[in-house]
Amino acid sequence: MRFSFVFMVLGIVLSVGILSAGLNLFAGYERTLKAVLLDSFAHISISETDSYLSRHKADQLIPKLEAMPEVQSVSPTETFSAMVNKDGEVHGALIRGYDFKRPFPYRKYIRKGEPSLDSGSVYIGHYMASELGLEVGDSLKVVYPQLNRVSALGIFPGEYFFRVAGIYRSGYYEYDRSAVIMTLEDAINVIMVPGYISNIELKLKPESVGAAGKLAKELEATYPELVAQAWTQNNDSLFRLIAMEKWLIFIIFSFLVLIAGLNVVSAVVTIMYDKKNEIAVLKTLGAGLNSIRGLIFYRIALVGIAAIILGQIFGWILSLLIINQSWYSLKGDVYFIDQLTIYVSPFNQVAIFVVSACLILICVRLPLRRINRMEIIELIRNP
Amino acid sequence: MTILEARHLAKSYQDSDRRIEVLKDANLLVNKGDLICITGKSGCGKSTLLHMLGLLDNPDQGKVLIEGKEVSSSSKEAPQIRNRDLGFVFQFHYLVEDLTAVENVALPLLIAGHSKSTSLAKAAELLSGFGLEERLNHYSNQLSGGEQQRVSLARALINKPKVVLADEPTGNLDPEKSAEIWETILRLNRELEQAFVVITHDREQARLASITYELEHGVLSPVNP
Repeated sequence: MRFSFVFMVLGIVLSVGILSAGLNLFAGYERTLKAVLLDSFAHISISETDSYLSRHKADQLIPKLEAMPEVQSVSPTETFSAMVNKDGEVHGALIRGYDFKRPFPYRKYIRKGEPSLDSGSVYIGHYMASELGLEVGDSLKVVYPQLNRVSALGIFPGEYFFRVAGIYRSGYYEYDRSAVIMTLEDAINVIMVPGYISNIELKLKPESVGAAGKLAKELEATYPELVAQAWTQNNDSLFRLIAMEKWLIFIIFSFLVLIAGLNVVSAVVTIMYDKKNEIAVLKTLGAGLNSIRGLIFYRIALVGIAAIILGQIFGWILSLLIINQSWYSLKGDVYFIDQLTIYVSPFNQVAIFVVSACLILICVRLPLRRINRMEIIELIRNP
Repeated sequence: MTILEARHLAKSYQDSDRRIEVLKDANLLVNKGDLICITGKSGCGKSTLLHMLGLLDNPDQGKVLIEGKEVSSSSKEAPQIRNRDLGFVFQFHYLVEDLTAVENVALPLLIAGHSKSTSLAKAAELLSGFGLEERLNHYSNQLSGGEQQRVSLARALINKPKVVLADEPTGNLDPEKSAEIWETILRLNRELEQAFVVITHDREQARLASITYELEHGVLSPVNP
């Protein structure tokens, strides 16, 4: 009996542990990705419908936007794609120009170098720095093809040299691999559209982040000539996909608990046959079937519940071991972020406990129905 | 006063292609204070008869009456009657291994719905009367065969049943322990007028009974009417 009981408990602990660890890691991923996306990008981006936004118009608009109670910061920006070159090695880049006379909304991601930018200096993404072998103080060439510089040999690109003033690391892989951040004026010089910017970035207060979509619609209604794009529009399908995957993992891993439940069925049957003499005695002494079933059910169910709680603790330890190991990290180009994190969500833990407890209790209950068919007389005749 | 009555009990089993008649028209009356012994060869159906008297098995024909009321093993009230009116002692004592001696004896009281403290107190008192006051908290595997059977006897008596049904209670004991148990049965029968139906192979023991029956070829007949 003890042997089958040990395997029953082990099966529950392992299956609940794997289910719990899987959800802890997935919840951690979802939470981190959301935080990184919310922190690394504008919550609302405002641009002209079909052209650049004039500085004059932006200067008129910015104070109105800053006055909105939901808005934390407003940044006029210039965003475009270009190429960077270091010792002949070419790398695609996303150039983002910010007005450094205003508070820079991504300052916390500057991991190395100077706290602010001057003309002629740039922050570059952490992965770009390591791929091109760049350090703070090195020189970087930005190459941008310009249509007004056409020769008989084709488009003659503009080349601009910048000093690397700092390394940027947000955790969002694609951005850390391609971002080149410079001053707004330098970006305008590179793209050669003086007097214009590409968009205005709004960062919302934490309590208003969820209402970004609604706010963007209100802005479009107030300024019909402008397009306001909320972060949810770009990432909504991604988060829905992640949520769906999380519940898919929950369902798949719940099958592990069901398989552990089969161990429980086998353990209960073994216990019933092991204790058939005692069952016969109880029946002979006048105990009702329900009370005999209840007695066995209560004892095994208690062990099962304790095993589920142990499994949840094991799952937490397992997820801690996984995030602290060094031999595997997420592929940033696939998962957007490259760090494994965990989040022990109370809701997930309650869901794991309830689903596991239901499965295990059903698996304890089912074989106990056979007690009805155990005839006292047979049990007494065959001790 | 008739406590237990068996009327025209018949039971048969199918053994491959032939039918074995274990009991044919068996009749038995158990009155208060009776000590009835049933003897017979091994496999003659003594235990089957006792199981039917104890509402553990149903007869093919005939009926069992407890204080004049017909009851069957499959009836709703059978478990309650087994708990309240009948006591059982088996050859293989059937103590619950996970329980101590006192807990085993308290079981019928607990099943009847008495509180744990009351049940344990009554069980301890009864076991002390059986000379087992030093063994109250011992598990069955820590008791000798004779002690186990005395615990089993105490368990059968704890609810003050109308009749105790004992299936070869000394069959598994050495002569000395067997005599001890038999002495206890005689004393309880004499002092408390406790009715017993005892199955035994021991003709010496059977001679001390108030009535002895012999079961042979399915027929139950009194030896000393």
